[in-house]
Parts: sequence; structure tokens; C-alpha cells
Amino acid sequence: MRGTWPAVAFFAAAALGPIVVRDAFLLDGLILILLWGASAAAWNVAGGYAGQLSLGHAAFFGLGAYSAALLGTRWGVSPWIGLLVGAGLATAFGFILGFLSNRLRGPYFGLATIAFSQVLLIVASRWRGFTSGSEGIPVPFRPGLWTLGIADKRVWVYLVLLLAALLYLVQLYLERSRRGYQLAAVREDEDAALSLGVPARRLKVAAIAVSAALTAVCGTLWAQYVGFVDPFYVFSVDLSVRFCLAAILGGIGTPLGPFLGAALITILETSLRARFGGIGAGLVGIYLIIYGVVLIVTMRFAPQGLLPWFGEHLRRRPHLGTAP
Amino acid sequence: MHVIPQLLASTILLGGVYALIAVGLTLIFGVMRVVNFAHGEFLMLGMYLAFWAFTLLGLDPYVTLVLGLPLIFGGGWLSYRLVMRPVIHASHNVQVFTTVGLSIALQALALVLWSADSQFVRTSYYAVVVRFGGMALNLAQIAAFAVAVLFTAALFAFMRWSYTGKVMRATAQDRHAASLMGIDTGRVFALTWAVGITCVGAAGVLLAPIYPVYPSVGLQFVLIAYVAVVLGGLGDMVGALIASLVVAFVEVVGSYVIGTAWKEVLYLLLFIAILVIRPAGLFGQRGAEVIGT
Repeated sequence: MRGTWPAVAFFAAAALGPIVVRDAFLLDGLILILLWGASAAAWNVAGGYAGQLSLGHAAFFGLGAYSAALLGTRWGVSPWIGLLVGAGLATAFGFILGFLSNRLRGPYFGLATIAFSQVLLIVASRWRGFTSGSEGIPVPFRPGLWTLGIADKRVWVYLVLLLAALLYLVQLYLERSRRGYQLAAVREDEDAALSLGVPARRLKVAAIAVSAALTAVCGTLWAQYVGFVDPFYVFSVDLSVRFCLAAILGGIGTPLGPFLGAALITILETSLRARFGGIGAGLVGIYLIIYGVVLIVTMRFAPQGLLPWFGEHLRRRPHLGTAP
Repeated sequence: MHVIPQLLASTILLGGVYALIAVGLTLIFGVMRVVNFAHGEFLMLGMYLAFWAFTLLGLDPYVTLVLGLPLIFGGGWLSYRLVMRPVIHASHNVQVFTTVGLSIALQALALVLWSADSQFVRTSYYAVVVRFGGMALNLAQIAAFAVAVLFTAALFAFMRWSYTGKVMRATAQDRHAASLMGIDTGRVFALTWAVGITCVGAAGVLLAPIYPVYPSVGLQFVLIAYVAVVLGGLGDMVGALIASLVVAFVEVVGSYVIGTAWKEVLYLLLFIAILVIRPAGLFGQRGAEVIGT
């Protein structure tokens, strides 16, 4: 397989992590890098490969987180079932969102997705009887793999590594398959693709639905790992932006980019938090300032993301930086 | 008995302030073709400006409004020069994420400067209620409405009759033709951005005596402004004005009928419905979102 050696190296390094490192803090960082990377990769399926720049993917993440947490706390159902339910719900919502917003281009699609995630946020935070409202849901710890009650962080590393590898392969498929080529054609020029007989509409909707389902899976695992679901976090615009930011920073429409971006952001975040967190709660904002500035500077100087910018001449990347 | 005039009065008062937020947003889109995702953060900064002036200098928010206008305009101009100018000719997506980055940075700046707690501007008249013909109206809301209407009217007059306003409209219609006519479009964009920011910043100062301020307060208002702007047709200032009243009406009547807890769902669903059924807005031309790039 041409061009995949950086990814193989990345995943191999991650797999070696738990063997070399015992420190819980570092393992936690590794788990978060892989989880955020997988989430950003799931966004990339719609945002990067299909060119549907969603600013509301937290909606799907939250659906995954809530499905497993609610099923687990209310009916004692295994989070694995919750994961499937969440993915199913997200697929359904992804289809609806995709169908409804099919005609929308550019910023309009982004606005529609923000509105969509805000509706879910309001429902989750106000429907007290079912979702416990704004208090959120603590995920109970029940030991065992079937209930995802895993205390050993090393097991978590391999679990999320599996997810990350799956996401990488999905993107690789979009990079190299006939469907992936068609999707790239739709992204670059929808009208031209349509005139060549590419089913643009169906492909876009499918990409959004698949992306939604995968994002929900990330949400489920994240909630089970962290142990708490807060509606104002899992449905927030900030979280949606985090997915885009990781993918854009690393390289939008490239299979490894989201993971690189997530690694950079997570390392920046944890190190700045560790540095400023002790001084005063207000200074936590400093890392967010840097975060925002990094996004502006990336857009200014490397709108294709760092991976292509570093001279990785990956073919068929979306031309985000050039005016249409 | 008194419900209907009360609802109508509340609609108009609320709609006036929404209009000031929406007009700035639609102006920026109309002329620059940029959807400003950081618009709400400038509203938030306007509110904090009023808060600081009130607590540190003891200035009344309405004094702050007059004194602060050049400051807000200057801040808008500066943000254009530093952040927007380099990407003004880039693609929509680059512009969207640049303004998203600006939004994150400004919100975080407020978090550092003022903490995440809600702050209040407690003027001596904040609880004064004016009773008129069976309607009970908050004095600060009436003042905000009056100033917002004045401001919006001034902006309309400026766009309609001043030379600069004509130049801005010409640039909105066709930026290439405008630059062929010798218009310095770069300056027009800078001015448009600064004027749009001044509108929303002024709205923030006006809202400070009515609503508590916290770093992410902008989102709640800017979502309303997006609804109004899309409903009115992106770039259409009169449309934005009418649509602001429509959105305020939905909000006021919705709060009355189904309660305040769910009112946001109403206008968000309205928003999604408009985007799906008629993305060009009620008065806008079809396909406005794809032309003029």
C-alpha cells in the first residue's frame, strides 16, 4: 500500500504506547488523542471527502453518548447495544439532515447544522423526565468488558485504537475507491459531476449518514470512558468546532490529517491546562485563545492543513484554499 | 384582555434590538459575502464594555454608547485588518473557519478577563416599568428599542443617500465592476466590516442593562440574528428588519403559549424550515448564496 507508512507508524506507535508507558496521565492523553482523532476522522468523511462542512457534528456525538448512557442507567442495557442504538439514531438523523439540506451550499449548510445541534441540545437539557435535563447523566461503573466498566487504561487504549484504525480504513476507502472518486468529483464541482452521471445527491446523503453514525460511536465510547454526559458539552458548538479544527489543522480530506490535528490540539490543550490550570480558573481561557489563533493562522497560511503543507504531496485533496 | 397588545408591544421592542444585530450581519454578508460566525462575540464585547464602564467608571450604559462608538468602530476596523483582510479573497470555507477561530479567541479572551460568571449592569432604573394603555413595559427595553431604531434608520439613510453608502452598495452588486470603476474595494470591505461590528457592538451596549452578560452570551443572540438574516434573505437589509420582527413575534408568542423553556426550539425549527424550503429567504433572490463569490 503506497503512502500509508506514516499511518502505519502512527498506529504502531500508539499500540506500543501502553507497553512502554505506565503513567496514567500519559495513557489518558493517548486515549483522548485517539478518540478525538477518530471523531475528527468521522467528521472528515462528510466535511473533507464530501465537502459538507458541518458545524453541528456534536449532535451525532451527543446522540451516541446519550443513547448508551440512558439505556444503561434506565434499563441496564449494555453500552455495546447503546452504541448500536446511538449509531442507528445518528444514521437516521444524518439521512434526514442530508436530505433536508441537500440543496444548501457553503455557509448555509453550516448554519443548518448548527441549528440542528442546538435543537438537540435544548431537548436534552430541558426534557427533565427522560434525559435528567441540564444535570447530565453519570455513567455507572459496572466492571466487565460487556458493560465497558474497564479500569485498566491500557485496555481502553487498544479499544479506541481499534476504532481509530477503523476510521482510518474508512477514509482510505474514500481515498481509493470508485465511490471515493465520485465523491471527490461531487465535492469539487457538483454540477459537472451530475452531468457525468454521478449520483451526487445520494452520495452526499450517504456520506453524511456514515459520518454521523461513526461520530455517534465515538460519542458512546467517549461517554463510557469519561463516565459523565453533560448536555452542554456533548451538544455544544465548541465540540463541533473541535472536530473540524482537528481535521482542518492536520489536513482536511486526508486520512491521517484528523489524527495529526487531534494529537497537536490534545497535546497543546493538556500541556497548557497543566501549566495555567493551577494559577487560576480564568487562565484556562488562555489555551482557548491560542486554539482560536491557531485556527485563524492555519486558515491564513496553510488552509489545506499541516500534512499537505509539510510537503506530503497527497493527491486529490480538496481545494479548500483556492476560491472557486 | 390585555394579552394581545402586550404581546405586540413586546414583539416590537424585542424585534427592534434583534434588527440592529441582524442588520450588521446582513450588511457584512451583502457587501463582503462573508457569513460572520464571530458576530455574537462582538455583541458580547459590547455588553462587557458597558459592564466595565459601569463598574469601573460609573458610566451609564447610554453614555457608554455615545463615548464607546468610536472605540467599537476602531475595534472592528482592527479585527478586519488583522484577521479578515488576508482571507477576503479566499473561499467561503476558509472565511467561515477564520471567523469561527476569531469567535473562539474572543470568547476565551472574555473568559480570561471577566471569568465565566454572569455579570449584571444594575442601573438605578433597571426595574422601572412603564405602564401604558394596559401594557407593562421595561424602561431599559424601551430605551434600547428607541436607540436601535434610530441607529438602524441612520444606517439605512447612510446606505441610501451617502456617497460611501452608494459605493458600498455598488461593491455589493458587483465587486469586480466596482473596482473597475475605481472603487477601492479593500477599503469598502474594511469599512463595511467596521460598520457591521459597530451595529452589533452598539446592540450589545443597549442589551447590557436588560440581560446578564457571560462569555458565551453571543451565541444565543446571534442564532436569532442568523434566523432573521436568512429569513429576510442574506444581504437584504430591509428583509432583515422585517424578519427580525417576525422572529421576535415567534419568540414572544411562543413563550406565552408553550413557555420560555422551549421557545428557542420554535425559532430554530423555523430556521431549519426556511433553510429547507426557501434558503434565499422570504424576499431574497433564489441562489443568492452561491453567486457573487
